[in-house]
Amino acid sequence: MGDTARRAPAGTAGHLVLDGLAKTYPGKDGAAVRGIDLAVERGSMLAVLGPSGCGKSTTLRMIAGLVPPTAGTVRVDGRDITDSPVHRRDMGVVFQSYALFPHLDVARNIAFGLEMRKVPKTELKRRVDDALSLVRLGHLAGRRIAQLSGGQQQRVALARALVVEPAVLLLDEPLSNLDARLRSAMRDEICRIQRETGVTTVFVTHDQQEALSMADRVAVMNHGRIEQVGTPEDIYERPARPFVAEFVGRANLLDGTAGDPDGERTSVELPGLGTVSAAGARVARGRTAVVMLRPHRIALTAAAPGTGGARGTVLSAGYAGETVAYRVRVGDTGPVLDVERPTGAQRSFGPGAEVELSWDPEAPRLVAAVEDSEPAEAAEPVRESLS
Amino acid sequence: MNARRLTSTVWAVVLTVLYLFLLAPILIVLVESFDTSSYLRFPPEGFGLDAYRQVFANEAFREGFRVSGITAAATALLAVVTGVPAALALTRLRFRGRAAIEAAFLSPLLVPHIVLGLALLLILAPIPLTDTYVGLILAHLGVTVPYVVRTVSASLVSADPRAEEAARTLGASGLMTFWRITLPAIRPGLLSGGIIAFLLSFDETVISLFVSGQHTVPLPVAVLQYVEYRSDPSVASLSVLLVLLSVVVVVLVERGLGLRRTLRSG
Repeated sequence: MGDTARRAPAGTAGHLVLDGLAKTYPGKDGAAVRGIDLAVERGSMLAVLGPSGCGKSTTLRMIAGLVPPTAGTVRVDGRDITDSPVHRRDMGVVFQSYALFPHLDVARNIAFGLEMRKVPKTELKRRVDDALSLVRLGHLAGRRIAQLSGGQQQRVALARALVVEPAVLLLDEPLSNLDARLRSAMRDEICRIQRETGVTTVFVTHDQQEALSMADRVAVMNHGRIEQVGTPEDIYERPARPFVAEFVGRANLLDGTAGDPDGERTSVELPGLGTVSAAGARVARGRTAVVMLRPHRIALTAAAPGTGGARGTVLSAGYAGETVAYRVRVGDTGPVLDVERPTGAQRSFGPGAEVELSWDPEAPRLVAAVEDSEPAEAAEPVRESLS
Repeated sequence: MNARRLTSTVWAVVLTVLYLFLLAPILIVLVESFDTSSYLRFPPEGFGLDAYRQVFANEAFREGFRVSGITAAATALLAVVTGVPAALALTRLRFRGRAAIEAAFLSPLLVPHIVLGLALLLILAPIPLTDTYVGLILAHLGVTVPYVVRTVSASLVSADPRAEEAARTLGASGLMTFWRITLPAIRPGLLSGGIIAFLLSFDETVISLFVSGQHTVPLPVAVLQYVEYRSDPSVASLSVLLVLLSVVVVVLVERGLGLRRTLRSG
């Protein structure tokens, strides 16, 4: 797994580096952001993923300089910019509402940052044209903002932020104001633009699909802290914390008792399900452990007498086109599991059906001990690879 | 279909009667302004422009027009200059006592002008600022700034505050952001607030009566003084001219704003 590191020690590579960044609002209980350490590699795209109110937008606004942090530093290219004012930070920001200037046309909106930098007229015109063609809006240069669709406004906001060639591009919930169809198109579009410009990008989202599909790396935040940083695959397949397992995708989290370790794996006794062997976090023998089982990794077969697997009863079956979502009670009094099976060749079961549950040995994942409330270092802190 | 036509006819009649009722006094003044007799009396005895000639020949009216014009222009300008920062603070900042200050800004609208006038006389007399432009303008500011705060606040509330943040991230300083982004956003509220302030100040009578004197006699006070001793149709002509002035200003501004709005959306 080697890539679940969350800590970026001072001085290591990383184009944008946050060190102990924290924000407490006066008169409010608890901190909005409680010490964020994060390093974003040059030219990469990082998603900050978390539920609303987890502090992800505040973090983004602290990077942009719109909110002064209570503690910690923001560095770009090794230079500490924590105290530099917003307008000298060289951050391209795309706001959730796009925040376009309604009294200026498309070209003047895009030119604004260049005008502030006193770029000479001919160069300004060339760069605005380049930015317009980058976002494929060349034909709309003279339009007023109110005449644009949501997707077009999004592109103007991107062009306006990118035309000044910012050190870092920050996107706040960039797709949340678009309808579903446009959203997937814009998702590809943002990825293409990011690849073409190679700009270091941080975007904030509450949508796990957005985070997993767009980002090179994902930082999952909760309650003002980073729970885990890793590649989308790390986050989904190897969650370090129960919160990550539940927030990213759907998960069955089962409490069990840890047994003997066996190399990378640990055997865990799960009530009603027997003993499973799971890789992941290290949990001392005899302590409570949490095992994650993704619903789509569980297979159902009709219960046949004599086989030794875990048995259960289907409580409900929800048909959803491509899949059927089952709720299955294990044994008579055991836990209720979510199971998701593809439709089609699969045999389906109705409520009340007796089934046998099975999964491949790689499916169960040991997430963390229940009483372990320390941050994710418990789950093997590995240093960010330097590159 | 007949029933429908009947209802619309009834509505038309009701509305016409209502408007006639509202406009009747002004219409009577309009008719009376062309009277050629030397007494202000309805119905008129002749028809001519004598009364209008008298208005322009009247030194007190000309002087009153000048005083009111200067006062109203200065009041409108200062009301905008003080009202805009107040509106900015009240809509964009969260601070202790914000609601109280907001209420204080609007309170002059709730106090009867006769009370305000007396209070202002008591305050301005010892300084002494009565019978000066400064005193007159200060007094008028109290009843005009609330309107500017209102109209500018309305513009600010409908504008996206993130646009200002976006400008900052693009390299604009605070002052530059105000000039290039905030000011254009509040221009409609600023213009309508300024116009309202100008017209209110030009028209202000009760407070002016208290704080004006021999040297600064605004037009409404001059009119009052005139009708105390004389009553001829020239007062009616003057009233018609004042109504025309208001209408022209409002139409011009509405045209200007309306024109821009069409440009923006079409």
